[in-house]
Amino acid sequence: MRKIWSIIKREYKEAVFKKSFIIITLLMPVLMIALSVLPTLLMMIETKKQTTIHVMDQTEWLFEDFSNSLKDTLKNGIPKFVVSKVSFSENDFESVLAEEKSLIEQEKLAVLLVVPEDIDSVGVVQFYARNVGDFDLTSRIKDTFSKLVSNHRLRESGIQPELINKLIKPVKLKTIKVIKGRKEKEGGFLQEYFSTFIFIFIIYLTIILYATAIMRSIIQEKTSRIVETILSGANSFQFMAGKILGQGAVGFTQYIIWVVFGITLLFAGGSFLPVSSRYFSFNPIIFFYFVVFFILGYFLFSTIYAAIGAITNSEQEAQSLVTPVVLLLVIPLMLIGFIVKNPDSTVTTVFSLIPFFSPIVMFARINLANPPILEVLLSIVLLIITIIGLIWLVAKIFRVGILMYGKRPTLPELVKWIKYH
Amino acid sequence: MEILQAENISKSFGEVHAVKNVDFIISKGKIYGLLGPNGAGKTTTIRMIMNIIVPDSGKITLFGQTMNDRLKSRIGYLPEERGIYPKMKLRDFLRFLGELHDMPSAIIDSKVSYWLKRFDLTDAEFFKVQELSKGNQQKVQLIGSFLHDPELVILDEPFSGLDPVNVNLVKEIILEFKKQDKAIILSTHMMDAAEKICDHVYMIDKGVKVLDGELDEIQQRYGHNAVQLEYKGNGDVVKDLPFVEKINDFGNYIEVQLKDGHSVNELLKAIVDRVEIFRVESRKSTLNEIFINLVTGGSNDA
Ligand SMILES: Nc1ncnc2c1ncn2[C@@H]1O[C@H](COP(=O)(O)OP(=O)(O)OP(=O)(O)O)[C@@H](O)[C@H]1O
Ligand SMILES: [Mg+2]
Repeated sequence: MRKIWSIIKREYKEAVFKKSFIIITLLMPVLMIALSVLPTLLMMIETKKQTTIHVMDQTEWLFEDFSNSLKDTLKNGIPKFVVSKVSFSENDFESVLAEEKSLIEQEKLAVLLVVPEDIDSVGVVQFYARNVGDFDLTSRIKDTFSKLVSNHRLRESGIQPELINKLIKPVKLKTIKVIKGRKEKEGGFLQEYFSTFIFIFIIYLTIILYATAIMRSIIQEKTSRIVETILSGANSFQFMAGKILGQGAVGFTQYIIWVVFGITLLFAGGSFLPVSSRYFSFNPIIFFYFVVFFILGYFLFSTIYAAIGAITNSEQEAQSLVTPVVLLLVIPLMLIGFIVKNPDSTVTTVFSLIPFFSPIVMFARINLANPPILEVLLSIVLLIITIIGLIWLVAKIFRVGILMYGKRPTLPELVKWIKYH
Repeated sequence: MEILQAENISKSFGEVHAVKNVDFIISKGKIYGLLGPNGAGKTTTIRMIMNIIVPDSGKITLFGQTMNDRLKSRIGYLPEERGIYPKMKLRDFLRFLGELHDMPSAIIDSKVSYWLKRFDLTDAEFFKVQELSKGNQQKVQLIGSFLHDPELVILDEPFSGLDPVNVNLVKEIILEFKKQDKAIILSTHMMDAAEKICDHVYMIDKGVKVLDGELDEIQQRYGHNAVQLEYKGNGDVVKDLPFVEKINDFGNYIEVQLKDGHSVNELLKAIVDRVEIFRVESRKSTLNEIFINLVTGGSNDA
């Protein structure tokens, strides 16, 4: 035990003072800020801009109502749209149109709208702009025209538009999620998807990050021949355990720094974070499971990665073995859309019990629905059993592999190593 | 007193039989030379003693117990493949090795200081290990295997990379260990060093033990009765003498190997009237010669 402890201490000290650790630890909060502030910032920059709109109205009746309908203001209170009517006569229509278009080319004008005289029957307004991909703008204008024109049509047919609008008022859905033991919360697919995805993406990313770090340091120590010096005092199991736990402690340190930072950020700048506070709610139970499944997932995968490090001689060589392992983590990630829609289906339930998928899938289920506690426990127990079995297996591979230089063992050779007493 | 016993140990790597049915005994207060050509199986044998590699068959008993990992801290092992943590400070690295060998924290520091001083590395204790020269890194590793005051010291190529002063220092330390009643196993290609300090020699070749005995006894047994001779005159007289086994002509002098039971005096008597003698030297054969003979001479083993 003391030897494992010494190895943990050494690993920890070395990793925590590494440049890469410090950089990643500091970079992540910057990324967090950027991710949460950026949308707000973009919105602010976006909304600073006024949109000038010229209308060539051939109907004589539409412009007034149209400009009155576009009274949106920007954040700082000034009008978002500057709408003006372009006057023209029947004779100079073409030349005025050409003039206006050249204004657009010169970037003096954002949008030119040409409304035909018989808009009621044609139902088409021409929209000239350099950028016709601004969905917010085009739909805002289209909706405005639709409403005005259909009101006009109704009035022409002698029907009160107000009455009709009252009669055909659409019904909206307000979704409220109800889970036993939790506060009801308003939400929808997008929100579920978003918060679940963020959590499991963190699990996925950090597991890969830390497991790869273990593999890398094992390969490196193999190459630098330090392994035998360590084996002169400790055995290969102690070496492996020390490495996995040491690196785990490093990861935990990083997590704590990030969590503390994240919570501070949430409290300090709640108003700054429209996206994260809308989609993200802090729940201690979820957080507890998050930690549990992260730790279990970490042990599972770092053990596999340690084995890969032990049987290969270079990172390039390791890469081909890592790929299928990463796949085990990617599959549940790809299924996330399905899981969010069907958190209690048989397929999801089965996936949430299979050890290699369960850290992500079971956690996603917990986040989405309230799976039976028995299933949660079962998946945790299965995970722990798998981890123990795997450590036992890998320790044997490790013992032989760690001093093997040269060619990578084949599968039958690996089996032989495992059978080795 | 016996502390280590290997019985019939064998180890193959795939097709390669690295060690075949080797057995030996190591006792306290003696220095053992483990000799043999490259690829003979010395390092493999040592790794099996250290329980780093498990023998395919055979048994290793250490301190009266079947070898197990708890016994490792009573052994001081210098691996053939030197490995260090390049980024660690010298003192931290040694502390770490001490902890790995179950040293109580209280005494690690004083031991580290003692050995650093002994190897003239005190000034470098806060250097990173990678900042040391190769020979100095080698000294650090040696310290790592001496630090915890082991009862059995196993050194695989301890002299490689060391200057003559440090070679002498290491020899001196090994002899000190012998006085302290420790057992020392020394695997080396430096035959003259082995010859000076070893009490007992195990030689293996192609995984098989070909020689096992006290150094003196081996030198007697395998030592040919040889005389170096410098003279002027017709050399054929020497060659034709009935009790001469063979001669090697080295240009400036010849080396004469006499048949068993014949002395240098006989040789001199036979030639003194016929040639002019400048120099005569009778000598025991060196471990080096025995080594070369055994390894290249094929099957003339005991
Ligand atoms: N891990 C290994 N995998 C495959 N073959 C090995 C391994 N270790 C040793 N061998 C083989 O076993 C034989 C004995 O090697 P060993 O290292 O024990 O020799 P040695 O006597 O220490 O040689 P040297 O004097 O060069 O150090 C060699 O043929 C070597 O190629
Ligand atoms: Mg060797």
